[in-house]
Amino acid sequence: MKTIYIFTNGTLIRKDNTLVLDTGEEKKHLPIENIRDLFVFSEVTLNKRLLEFLTKYGIAIHFFNHYGYYTGTYYPREHLNSGHLIVKQVECYIDPARRINLAKGFVTGAARNILHVIGYCRKSHDELQTIIENVKGFAEGIPKTKTIEGLMGIEGNIRDAYYSSFDPILSRKGFSYSGRSRRPPKTPLNSLISFGNMLMYSTLLTEIYKTHLDPRIGYLHATNFRRFTLNLDVSEIFKPIIVDRTIFSVIQNKEIVPEDFEESAQGLLMTEKAKRLFVQRYDEHLDATFHHRRVGKVSYRKVIRMELYKIEKHLIGDTEYEPFISQW
Amino acid sequence: MFAILVYDVQEGRVAKALKICRKYLIWVQNSVFEGEITEARLRSLKGELMAVLEENNDSVIVYTFENSRYTKRVTWGIERGSVSNII
Repeated sequence: MKTIYIFTNGTLIRKDNTLVLDTGEEKKHLPIENIRDLFVFSEVTLNKRLLEFLTKYGIAIHFFNHYGYYTGTYYPREHLNSGHLIVKQVECYIDPARRINLAKGFVTGAARNILHVIGYCRKSHDELQTIIENVKGFAEGIPKTKTIEGLMGIEGNIRDAYYSSFDPILSRKGFSYSGRSRRPPKTPLNSLISFGNMLMYSTLLTEIYKTHLDPRIGYLHATNFRRFTLNLDVSEIFKPIIVDRTIFSVIQNKEIVPEDFEESAQGLLMTEKAKRLFVQRYDEHLDATFHHRRVGKVSYRKVIRMELYKIEKHLIGDTEYEPFISQW
Repeated sequence: MFAILVYDVQEGRVAKALKICRKYLIWVQNSVFEGEITEARLRSLKGELMAVLEENNDSVIVYTFENSRYTKRVTWGIERGSVSNII
């Protein structure tokens, strides 16, 4: 199964029972049976017939605006309905003790994976030791927290400390961190982080669609009236090991350079070339396989899906949720 | 797994075979397809194809590989069908 990333303008149509992107110059046939989801960054025209077709195959389509920001998702009608699981998901949300318990799992997983990522770089950078101590210090507060707000605070502190490690790790000219800024991102590094995180949220949404979970009910991020939140929760665990490692590799290998960013009213934006490259590396990273202690050879994408199944099992009271901690 | 499919089909049925293959694999050249496919999908591709082809006149060959890690792909001349998932 492949994720298709579209950067070319055109019309997406259903033709001969498969998917075609008509760019005016040529018709690109996309094998429908092999598509997991679509990420659309360009101007694409489509019709209801296409949406019906995508629904039939259970393919979500994520849209991003001209500036590369997330616009929304066409999330096909739920095909894996489980009233039972939705009830369980809500039960867990409205019980403060259970809700925070699960939320703590996400933050713990995020912290451990953050430590894993910077711990790996420590070998060549002694100055990371203090940052590691800081992150560990904040993480110790997780079990003691009583409120979601407190937990969010800890999560924020961990992330601040963590991002400050990017400067010593990267030490590439033009990619200094200098504080997190978003909407709009003010530095190239911030622009990369925002772009990468956004891809991660969409990837998670696609994976959630393939399970019985309802993406609208998250635990760490408050469920409100407009947004998918469960994907934000679970992303926390995978952002360090997938998004941030991709960022490190594209910067260190000089595949993306400071000239790949341009100033605009919407903040610092990546050029299309840089976006294409980043998306490619990100996709490769998700499909990369490693040896998992319990299940053997798996891709990161599969591990994300397994994480969702673990949450399902937790919700129905089968096995207690333990977040995925990277060992490799 | 990774598959390469080639067919040799009588004129009147080429278009039908093409349409079916395009649902599952990426068209790379006249009567040549390639791409990732699962066992189950390959079986349903076979089912669909054999329903329109004539067993005594047409021929389809499928090469399958566990993965594409130990293969190398080079194109001489023009690249007709692109296999990238970033378009």
